This record gives sequence, structure tokens and C-alpha cells, in this order.
Amino acid sequence: MQARQRFGWCSVVWAASVLGGVTAGCSSQDRSPDAAAPPGSTQQADQKSAAGPSSQPFVLGNAVEPFDPPPLEELDKLQWEDGPVVDSLEQLRAEKAEAGPPPTSVEEALALRNDFPKSRENNDKILAALSQLAPPDGAGVDYEHTFVRHVAGDLNSTNPLFGSSVTDYELSGMAGFSVLAFNRRFEYFADKDIVVSWQRSKDNLVERIVLRDDLTWSDGTPITAHDVEFTYRLIMTDHPELVIPAVRQGTDQLRYVKAYDDRTIVYWHKEPFATRTGNMLWPVLPKHIYEKSVVEDPSMKRSEHHRKYEEQPVVGGPYELVSRVRNQEFVVRRREGWYMHGGQQVRRKPYFKEVRVKIIEDLNTAILALKAGDIQSMELRPEHWESLTAGDDFYAQNTKVMAPEWTEFHVVWNVKSPYFSDKRVRWAMTYAFDYEELLNTICRGLYEQGRGTFNPAAWMFPPDGPQPVKRDLDRAEDLLEFQLMTYTTETGVQVATLWKESLDQIGVTVNVKPTEFAVMQDKTLKHEFDACFAGWGTGADPDMQENIFGAGKQRNYGQYANPEVDKLFEQGRRELDRDKRATIYGQIHMLLWEDQPYTWLFYRNAFFAFNKKLRGYNFSPRGPYDFGPGFAALYGAAE
Amino acid sequence: MTSYLIRRLGIAVITLVLITFLVYGLIRAMPGTPATNQLAVMDPSKQLSPEAIARINRLYGLDKPWYAAYFVWMKNVVVGDLGVSFTRNMRPVAELIVERAPATLMLSATSLALAYLLSIPIGLWATAQANTVAERTVSTVLYMLYSLPAFVAALYLQLLLYVKLDWLPLYGMQSDAYESLSPVGKAVDVLRHAVMPIACFTYGNLAYYSRFIRANMQEVVRQDYIRTARAKGVGPRAILWKHAFRNTMIPLVTLLGLSLPGLFSGAVILEQIFQWPGMGRLYFEAIGQRDYNVIMGLTLMFSVLALAGQLLADILYAVVDPRVTYG
Amino acid sequence: MDLPPSTTGAMAASDVPLGASPGFWREAWRRFRRRKLAMAALLFVAALTLVAICAPLIVGTRPIVCQYKGRIYFPAAWYYNRDWENPIFAKDRFRGRFAENLQAKDPQSWAIWPLIYQDPYRRIRENEWPGQPANPSGAEGRPSRYNWLGTNQQGFDVLASMVHGAQTAVSVGFVSMGIAATIGITLGALAGYYGRWIDVLLSRVIEVVMCVPSLVLILALVALLDRVNNLHLMAIVGLTHWTGIARLTRAEFMKLKQMEFVAAARALGASPGRIMFTHVLRNALAPVLVPITFGIADAILIESGLSYLGFGASPPNPSWGTLLSAGRRNIEDMWWLILFPGTAIFLTVLAYNLIGEGLQEATDPRLRQDAH
Repeated sequence: MQARQRFGWCSVVWAASVLGGVTAGCSSQDRSPDAAAPPGSTQQADQKSAAGPSSQPFVLGNAVEPFDPPPLEELDKLQWEDGPVVDSLEQLRAEKAEAGPPPTSVEEALALRNDFPKSRENNDKILAALSQLAPPDGAGVDYEHTFVRHVAGDLNSTNPLFGSSVTDYELSGMAGFSVLAFNRRFEYFADKDIVVSWQRSKDNLVERIVLRDDLTWSDGTPITAHDVEFTYRLIMTDHPELVIPAVRQGTDQLRYVKAYDDRTIVYWHKEPFATRTGNMLWPVLPKHIYEKSVVEDPSMKRSEHHRKYEEQPVVGGPYELVSRVRNQEFVVRRREGWYMHGGQQVRRKPYFKEVRVKIIEDLNTAILALKAGDIQSMELRPEHWESLTAGDDFYAQNTKVMAPEWTEFHVVWNVKSPYFSDKRVRWAMTYAFDYEELLNTICRGLYEQGRGTFNPAAWMFPPDGPQPVKRDLDRAEDLLEFQLMTYTTETGVQVATLWKESLDQIGVTVNVKPTEFAVMQDKTLKHEFDACFAGWGTGADPDMQENIFGAGKQRNYGQYANPEVDKLFEQGRRELDRDKRATIYGQIHMLLWEDQPYTWLFYRNAFFAFNKKLRGYNFSPRGPYDFGPGFAALYGAAE
Repeated sequence: MTSYLIRRLGIAVITLVLITFLVYGLIRAMPGTPATNQLAVMDPSKQLSPEAIARINRLYGLDKPWYAAYFVWMKNVVVGDLGVSFTRNMRPVAELIVERAPATLMLSATSLALAYLLSIPIGLWATAQANTVAERTVSTVLYMLYSLPAFVAALYLQLLLYVKLDWLPLYGMQSDAYESLSPVGKAVDVLRHAVMPIACFTYGNLAYYSRFIRANMQEVVRQDYIRTARAKGVGPRAILWKHAFRNTMIPLVTLLGLSLPGLFSGAVILEQIFQWPGMGRLYFEAIGQRDYNVIMGLTLMFSVLALAGQLLADILYAVVDPRVTYG
Repeated sequence: MDLPPSTTGAMAASDVPLGASPGFWREAWRRFRRRKLAMAALLFVAALTLVAICAPLIVGTRPIVCQYKGRIYFPAAWYYNRDWENPIFAKDRFRGRFAENLQAKDPQSWAIWPLIYQDPYRRIRENEWPGQPANPSGAEGRPSRYNWLGTNQQGFDVLASMVHGAQTAVSVGFVSMGIAATIGITLGALAGYYGRWIDVLLSRVIEVVMCVPSLVLILALVALLDRVNNLHLMAIVGLTHWTGIARLTRAEFMKLKQMEFVAAARALGASPGRIMFTHVLRNALAPVLVPITFGIADAILIESGLSYLGFGASPPNPSWGTLLSAGRRNIEDMWWLILFPGTAIFLTVLAYNLIGEGLQEATDPRLRQDAH
């Protein structure tokens, strides 16, 4: 019989943004996977400058390693094969045609009540009918429609390089310009609206892209390959005042990028990895606006000039920013220069005349606005799914859909802490937890139980993957007291409390501690905890999980280390065949399951409400907007 | 009086330095930095290199010990530069404050004025009617309002005035068509948006202020000079207003002085519910994001106001009650 | 009696013997008892305190007393302190389910149970107590036979949370305002009475404390401590919320010290301490009592605000405020989460204020004269 054992200071940190979106919902260009190799040269960053940061001269692209690009003729001698250049909307249309017509008409679907989780039938019917795209000729589209969207936080920066909040990415998703994108299966493609041809060398080390000649910025200047190269060099610049937090990783895995003429842009990779294409995604800035000004104000935020373009950015996407009231809203309008060129229509006309993005932090307030038709779409919290959005007042103007998302939630065990270094202890914790109560009472049946790090629907999930754990107190009853620290989202605290109750039953005392977000981040980064509740969204490539489970990586909060897993990640990166990669990541999945560095709890779904006037919403494992075509497929129906 | 003022102002500067020094130390001692939070909101597939973190820390002045960083901050403040916000795209703190000040003031000044305008008559009335059924009922209702948290009341108001009756806008400070309105139309529009937040902001204070006034009045009306006045045949209204109320001015002035900094501090929860672009939210978020310059800028502003409130109260004591003197 | 009007206090002072004055408090109590409303309020607070102390005996899932394998145990003590549970129950794998396990593991056992079988820390499952169904959760948790005041989102019983939350409600107010009143009155009195450099110095202390944002202090504290409880938070609230009381006391003292009765007391050789805290303070109570009585009630609301913002005590933390903020999120279909804790807070606020009013009148020296 075990005595009552006591852990000293363990703490479970409840990771955070959990319900507000685990990963910042990014637009496709920012979501590149990361090879996480050592960064390029950073000689500048190490110099201490006594006289303050601004004294250092600005050298564009100083972190790019020296490289001698061959002349264009040399490149022609390489063996090339074509990369996919597609119209993503047409691609999606073809897929939907293949899947067959929806079981119900739009009218019938809109009359349905979505009673998920009691049954999925109505949800699937609604989604099938409302996800139908507008016909190629645009019949039935109300081109005068103003789409009023909801976001929960203010726009921080209109410059996509400085994007840091979900709202920032919403803007760049509508107004931003990027050469490559990925579809809802996370396959990369070049957009036909932007690119003429995409060639990749046989050795996977060089890629050549030719842009269309009818692209213009919102100020009328043509968009050229030089803009792409300029932005690359800007990202690859080390200067004490210039902080580009999100885009540098990945981009630094390129050896070099060069614009040979206005339309031809060539990329050289350092290594022929499977993740290489993801490194080529970055939001493109207009060179003519920033080329000179960045030298004068390397922060790109302070000078008169930069502040002006922060308020009225020059953009290359289908929509442009027309007004912005801080903490209230911003408005983008359809850009004629996007689809018209020299008096000719050269691209599909964007479906919305205007998109008004309303900032409402308080979700109860936002739901009231939704019911009244003041906003036309919002992401719902699971707790609102049944309680506030089930009545006639909601269905009068709206409907709602659920779609699976590859976002998993777990408790991280700090394997370097004396209590959780033994995997049997971690398994005991896994067995002690009351999953039934979690899924049915706290999560109200909205989620599926966790079965490891990859989502069971993902291509890399192993064919004979682990089965959900059943609670087994007898097996668990080995160990004992530790402290649970938690970030205070509603579900966060509820799950933590349930842990406490579950473990109380076998004599383990858990103290739940609500922790401010910053404190929790600080503690996880420094590994000053014993266990931590958190969630991860999915990257476009499973390789991103090396950041989470690779030995010594920054996001490996629990300090898990398994050389075999590290080796497999390396292998997975080098392997180019998707089926073989699936086997490798399946092995990683099973090894992680075996070791239980996490106790996987559940996979969160996406919940969205839409006004009945809206059509064409499709979901990827990252929600309805963050892929190609995503937002571009949405339209308002003509009466 | 002039020398007293000069002395007080001199002391106030020292107090300010002390306060800001303390607060700066405190916030730097809290775990987490602006960089921690930036890391946190990043996509999990990204990580910052140690060099990038070092650069961010240097840019934010975090490479210096806090007392050294404090003096850099103070030096800048002396020349009128409050610094920039780390998490709000490097916007100057002064600009953020100026941007939020009108909305905050509109809410809090109106509500403060309303609270005093309503609670003084209620308090006087309650004194005159002390312990009658009517007075007990009114006080009980006020206590009931006081115990109802504003975040609950706000939702009920929204349900009633927006959902059921559709009289007032739900959130924000202006309508979509704001730009196209006439100046009068603009004012009306903003006012309509302000009604619900102001109501929520005000009702809780009524109980406190009116009870405060009644308590002080009761103390005064039992004084002999009131009895004397009454014996001389002064009407009850005149007694309350002219004789008694004037003698409760000292605590009232103190209370007024204490509520001055509240004018700018706003109300976190109400601002969130009504999406009102006020200072309370800014302060709260800045603390959460460890946006040191914004926290310091706002602390400085609140402190100046608080000190001004105290000074004002101290001066007013001598005005409303000649027995109080400053030598 | 041709004294100027403002000298009434002198008479009041001369009424009270300058030596020890036990009669004053006895007299005050006698006068207080005569006020029916105030007495009712006092009884209410006493009853509330009793409920708070006896919470596990009223609602709980652990026997108050039981005999198990020939020995007597008090499992309900677990609610006061987790360490007070006898290890035998952990050893015998009771897993917190006493009703079924006592019978199953020792048919000879007996137990005395709390009045209601519910728990503030967890949801009751089916048949834990013979014949009692599982607690409903979410919008189904409306008041019923088994959950008199309904259940919250997670299915925890609201009555159980309120009874156990009474501990928080009672303690937070007294702790925070006890601290605040002591510091505030003392410093305010010293500053107002002595004036000059003492006033200058103490006023600066008041200003500094006034300006340091308490949210920053609370966050710093929460980051430091590993287990935060309400007393920690209330200590912070107490240590930062005395400035208003101090300012009000100071202002009254500045006014009153010029009065003749103070001079008279001084002439009679009373020590400054006695003058300040018996003679002057008694006359300065009116403006000070209001913030104190409101402050006691306010502490409950501050606690709820802190849990709303996510900086409250470590969960699970059954408190009225937590219930209220949960109710706000589900306002349209879970009215019982607002009504019951809201009423409890209202009654408490009312009671404290009635006591405050009674206390003010009972201690007012001028009213004593009327009594003669």
C-alpha cells in the first residue's frame, strides 16, 4: 500500500490562448513551416551599440550570406519540372463537383436547426449546402454586398510583416499579396491570379517563378519581381531597430532570392527538404514605398512617412483598406486595380463590395449584435454553441456550423521535474483523469477525445493509431500531490478543477492556480513548472512539431527528449514522398504516445455562425479563412 | 498661501518620482517581458532565435537593470517624451493617451457629475425624512443597486434597450454612418452610444454618495447651532441647505478630491462590454502585455491627477471651513 | 450657555469622564440594541458567520462523524484542511465516495451526515447517495428537489457553493477592512491632529499608496505565491484601500482639533493619544464609518471582479462572486446563477450598512444627550 506521497512544487501551467485561438490565425503567407536550423549570420545583432540603436547604419539584406547567382542563361540549362499553378476556387469547385450535389437545397438547409452534438446530420447538411461555390459567371452573387465581420481584438499593424494579432492576419488575408499559398489539404500552389509559371529544378534546390504583368499595387504602380526580392532582403536584415518577429524563421532557410527582371524571380534553397516550399511564403511589400524610407527609419514605424503608410497602406490584394477607427472597426473595399487592367477584366471580380470588420471584445455583446444582424459572422466559443445560439432569435437571421479543426489540447508534463521524469508516472496521470466528465460535462460532447499529437483525420496519423484512454483509477493509483497552475479561461479553469477532483479521489492533492498569461508564458519558457495545460493548432506541415518535441527546442516546454524522435523528424524533412513521410510521422506519433510527454485530452472543433445571406464557406483544418481560396469563396447571395 | 502652494508643488514632484520609481520596480519584477508575449502569440511553427530575442530586449531597454532603465525613462519624461508602446506598433504613449482621453472623460466626468447631482438631493431628502418608510425604501433600493455588479446590469440593459426596444445602439462610440452626419447629428450619435455605459457607471455610486451625505448631515443636524437656528424660526429647507449642508463640505470635498483620478482611469469591465475606447482597457491590457512605457505613462498621469486632487481638497478645506489653516 | 455654536463638542466631552470610560461602550451597545433594524442586521451577520463556520456540517459529501472498522472518524474536517482526513480512507480506496464505501467495506459502520448531500468542489454523480440522481449541468441545472438553488455550468451545486462561499464572504470583508480601517484611522488621525511635518510626511505616504495601482500589486503577489487564497488578496486590498479612510479622518481631525473641547481636554491633562482616539475620533466617525461599512461589502464585489478578470484565488474557489461572473456569461438561460448569489450579496451589503448606521448613531456623543 502506498503512503500518501507528496510532490513539492509542481505546477501545471494552463496554456493560454487556449480557447481564443491557440495559434494566431494567420493568413497563408505567414504560416510557413520551419526547419528550425541555426539562423543565418547575425554578426550585427551581437554588436553592442553604446550610443543607442539608431546610430547603426541600415544595410538591406545584411543577414543574407554571400552568394553568386548565375546568369539567367545558366539557369536555363537546369532540368526543370512544373509546379502547380492553379485557380484555387476552380480547384475547389472541381472537388465539390466530384463529391456530388448536396443532399438538401440551400433553403432547406437554412431552415434546419443545428443540433450538434446530439446528431451531426443537420450540421453536415447545412455545411454541404452552404459551402457550395458561386457559379463561374458569378450568377446569384450580390456584388453590392457589404460583409460585416467580427474580430475580438484591435488591428495592431497594417503592415503584414509586423502582423502579430489574429486581426492583423485577417487584414492581410484580404488585402495582402503573396506569391504562393496552400489549399485546405495544405498543398502548396501558385495562384493563377498572380503567377504565370512555376518551375522547380530536378534537384529541388532552385525554383523559378514568373509573375503576371497585369498586377498593380493599390497606388497604381506595377507589382514586380523586384518587390518580392526587396521584401526578402528586408526580412533578412539585421538591425537593432527592425523587429520582424514572425516571418524570419523559414525565410532564412533560403540561400538566396533574386529578381532577374520585372517578372522573373528565382529562389535557391539551402537544402532540398520536404519543407522547402513553405520557406518561400512571405507577404510582399511595395519596394517603391519603403526602399528609401527604411534607411532613414529602420524601425519602419516611427517616421512621418511610415506612419502615413501605416494608416493608408499600399496593398496588392483584392481588397484595400479605406478606413480605420481604432478599437472600433476597419473597412476594406474591393479594389478595381486588382481585377481590371487597361480597361479589361483580367481576374475574377471579388465578391464583396466592402468588408467591415467590427472589433468587439465582449463575446456576449457580439452575439447580441449577430442576432440583430449588425454583424454577419463570428467564431463561436463552445460555451455559446448551445446556450446563446440555439433559439429563434438566433435562427431568425443566422445559421451555424461546426467543422473539425486540427487543434489538440493536452497537459504537458515537465519530464525534467523529479515527479514526471518516469513515464509510468505520466501514464498514471493519464489513467487517473476522468475523460467522460471532461468530454460530456465540460466540453458538452462537442469534442473528440485526444489520441495523440496528430489529428486522426490527418494524413500523418498512423493507420493503427492509439485508441482513446479509458479511465482506470486502479492502474493510476500510484502517485501523488502536485500543483496545478492555470491560465484563466473558463474551460481552462474547469478542466483544471476536474483534474483536481479526479486526482483527489486517489489521494493526490492538486492545487489549481490561475495565472496571468504573461506569467505562464514566462514560466513555460523557463521550464519552471511540472505540468501545464495547453493546446496547439496545426501547421501546414507536420515538421513544425519538431519545435514542440525536438530536444532543446523553444516550444518544448516539457523538455521532452528522445533521440529517436529527433532522428525521425530529420528523416521526415529529407523525405519528399508524402506516403513515406506519413509512415515516418506515424512512427513519431506512436513513440510520443508511448512516452506520454503529454496527456492528450481532446481535439477542438471550429464553431462559426454566419448570417443567412452568406454562402460559400468551406473549412480547412485551420478554420474557414486561412487557406486558398478560403475567404475568396465567400459571397453574399443576391435576393 | 503662495508659499504653501510652492512647497506643496515641490513636495509633489518628489512624491511623483517616488511613486514612478516604485511602480517601475514593481512592473519590472513581474515575471514576463513584452518579448515573452510576442513569442506567445506567434505561430507554433515559428521560434525566435536567441539573437532576435536579445535584439528585442535591447530595443525595449530590457538589457539594462531596472533602476538604470528607470532613469532613462525619467530623463525622457523630463523632456516631454513618454516613450513608445512596445506592443502597439511603437506608437507614442502620449498619442495613445490623447486618443483615449476624450472617450474616457466623456464617460467618467458625466457619470461623476450625475452621481453628485443626484445623490446630494437624495442625501438631503433622506436626512429630512430620516427613518420614515419612504426613506428606508429608497435607501434599500439604492443598496440593492449597489450590490448589483455593473457587468450584470450592463447585459440586462443591452437586452432591454437594444434587443427588445431597439432604442439605443449596442456597443461602440459611433455609428457606421458617423462621418456623413452633421455636427449636431454626430453629437447626438455619440450621446446615444454613451447612454448605457454612463448609466452603468453611475448607478452604483448613488448609494455610496447619498449615504455618505446623509451620514454627515445627520451628524451636523444634531449640533446645537442647528437647534438654535430652528428655534429662531428658520424653515427646515433653509436649515438643511444653508446651515447644515455647508458644514458637511469638508468630507464632501475630500471625497471629491479622491474621485478626481478616477476621471481618467475608466472602467475595465464596462469598457469591454460596450467596446468603449477608454483608458481602463488600455491600462489593463498594457499590464497584461508588460507594455512598460504605457503602464508608466498612465501611472504618471493618474498620479498627477491624484496629487492634484489631494492638493485641491487641502486648499478647499481652508475655503469651506475657516477653522482650517495652513501655516 | 453663551458658547458659540461650534462648541457643543465641549459639553459632549465633559459628559464623558476623562479617565477610563467603560461606560461609553456599554452605553453605545445599549443604544444600539434599541435600533431594531440594526439588531436584525447584526443577527443576520451573526447567522451568516455561523453558516460560514459550520458549512461542512450543512452541505457536504463527507460524514460529520462516522464509525469505521471500530474507530470514530470526522471526515468532514477535510473541508477545513485537506490534511485532516485520516489516511485510512485513502488506503482503503474510498476515493471520496463515503456513502457507498462505508457500507461496502464495513457493514457495521455508521455515520452522521450533513443536512444536504452536495459538494461545492465537484458534481455529484448518479447514485453516490442512494437514489439521488447525478447533478445536471449547464442550462438544465435549474433549481430542483436535489439542487435547491440549481447548479452551475459544470454541475456543481449552487447552494453548496453559497454555503461554503459564505466563509469567503464573511472573512474577506473583515480582513480587508480591518486592515484598512486600522491603518487609515491611525495615520489619518496622526496626520490631522499633529499637522506640520508629521502631516507632510504621512500625506505623502497616503499619496504614494494611493497611486500605486493595486492591480499591479495583486499581479506581482500572484506571481510570487504558488497558492493564492482570498486572504492574500484581501490583505492587498486592505493594504491599498485605506487611503480614502485616512484622508477623511485627517480632514475631520484638522477641523475638530481647533474645537474648544479638545483644548479643554488638553487643559485637563489628557494625553494626546486619549484625546485623539477617545474624544476626537468619536466626533469624526460619521464620514469614516461610511467607507468602512461599504468597504466590507465592497470586498465581496472586489473578489467577484477579480475572479471575473481572472486574478482571483486558486480555483476551485466557491464564492458568491465566482457564481455571479459565471452567471453573467449565461445570463439568458441560467438566471439562478445571478438571482441567488446576487440576493446574498445584497442582503450582506444591506446588513453591513444598517449596522454602520446603527453604530454611528449609537456612538454619537450628541445623541447621548438626547437620551438623558
